[in-house]
Amino acid sequence: MKERWILHADIDHCYAQIHEMLYPDLRKVPMAVGGHEEMRHGIILAKNDLAKQYGIKTAESLREAYEKLPSLLIIHPLYPLYITYTEKVKDIYREYTDRVESFGLDEAWADLTPSLTLFGASATDLAKHIQNRVYKEMGLTVSLGLSFNKVFAKLGSDQRKPHGFYRMTKQDYPETVWPLPVEDLLFVGRATKEKLRYYGITTIGQLARRERSYLKKLFGKNGETLWFFANGMDVTEVASGPRREVIKSVGNGITTPADINTFDEAREVFLVLCESVATRLRENGLAGQVVSVMLRGSDLAYIGRQRKLSRPTDLATEILEMVMILTRENWRQESPLRSIGVTISSLKPALSYRQSDLFTDERAREKEVRLEQVIDRIRSKYGYDAIKRLGLLECPHLTNFNPLAEHVIHPESWY
Amino acid sequence: MQEFVDRQLYKRYVSVIAHCDREGKVMPLVIEWENQKKYRIDRILEIRPAASQVGGGGILYRVRIGSQERRLFYENYRWFIESYTP
Repeated sequence: MKERWILHADIDHCYAQIHEMLYPDLRKVPMAVGGHEEMRHGIILAKNDLAKQYGIKTAESLREAYEKLPSLLIIHPLYPLYITYTEKVKDIYREYTDRVESFGLDEAWADLTPSLTLFGASATDLAKHIQNRVYKEMGLTVSLGLSFNKVFAKLGSDQRKPHGFYRMTKQDYPETVWPLPVEDLLFVGRATKEKLRYYGITTIGQLARRERSYLKKLFGKNGETLWFFANGMDVTEVASGPRREVIKSVGNGITTPADINTFDEAREVFLVLCESVATRLRENGLAGQVVSVMLRGSDLAYIGRQRKLSRPTDLATEILEMVMILTRENWRQESPLRSIGVTISSLKPALSYRQSDLFTDERAREKEVRLEQVIDRIRSKYGYDAIKRLGLLECPHLTNFNPLAEHVIHPESWY
Repeated sequence: MQEFVDRQLYKRYVSVIAHCDREGKVMPLVIEWENQKKYRIDRILEIRPAASQVGGGGILYRVRIGSQERRLFYENYRWFIESYTP
């Protein structure tokens, strides 16, 4: 097979840099993009170079950041802005290849292999040309990784920042990739890193030279995947165009503006989330059978539990019923809840008919089905707030949000 | 990118009278300043996508007004100029 040239481009501290590009004076002060403290979405999403010098870290809480630097300037995120500018950057990539695959807002892979003959340039030259164009036309710096597979390319874009470039070839990867710390590899998070270190693996090279079967024994299938990654054996293609994945689960979660203290309050918030999950299931013509709940207390302790329903469903009330069973079983009310979430998985196409069940009142269920369909129709015509369940008025401070409309922005999963 | 570094520049949004042709090509004709003063664009020297040193960017029109050259940007449906006066 011809050697592939895959570029991974990452907009340097993306959200912060977009604000700096629009208002260059922001480069002169320590600045970070962060959520709303009062809404308790208070974490740092991105920071500029000056803020970094003061030790401000991405994902730490605003409170921690202010402790390090009380004068830190916090800008609230403006997602429509980021979408506009990151799309424009990706449009530049798309001028060079039809194979551009987004990974979150600020990152993308581009397969340059077929473009080299078209543009008559070497991969390195073409990559640097693209980097230069983004800087000149958008005023944004991107860091690049260039390699023969997606995993190494992604790794490379993290090596030199900002406006960096890192190239790894099939010939030189033992020198260019293997000395790097193992946590730079895709999917090696904090927990995996610690576990690997326990077994004496701290660099990618050490991982690559272990026996494949050994890693499989330690980490299961994921261990094997990591071994393939470390040895440059990732052969996944760069998807062309937007990726339409098969939906495997549908979920919604929220950190509520105030703590949840009682089961009744939890039930109300879960109702909003279940309605959203059910609507999304119906939009996609799916029904799910496994319900999972996520509970995080104000002490940040996390509980995740799941259970299978007797039959697949796309009804909010049926999902909610199981959610509350799980919540009652697992939340001991030692500390109030800070954020909760519900996910439904084991999805199947929703059928227009269903096996009736001796223990269910099918007529009542049929009514519920029609009710939820009508709610969907009213909402799609007159807006989300046009109709609400009366119970939600009990604690509007907890339930006054629309999970359907709020953007879900996160890197997609690999698989 | 730093093509005019000698003097402090400011981002000034301006009103523009433009000609839009059948193909959708937009050509600015007149810049309207705050005091109702109108500046006719005598010549468009260059059109290209570019970032501005005063922040933001878009489609850059390098224009000549009389003997002066200015950088006019079409940024998300608004025009701004890299101005020498704040």
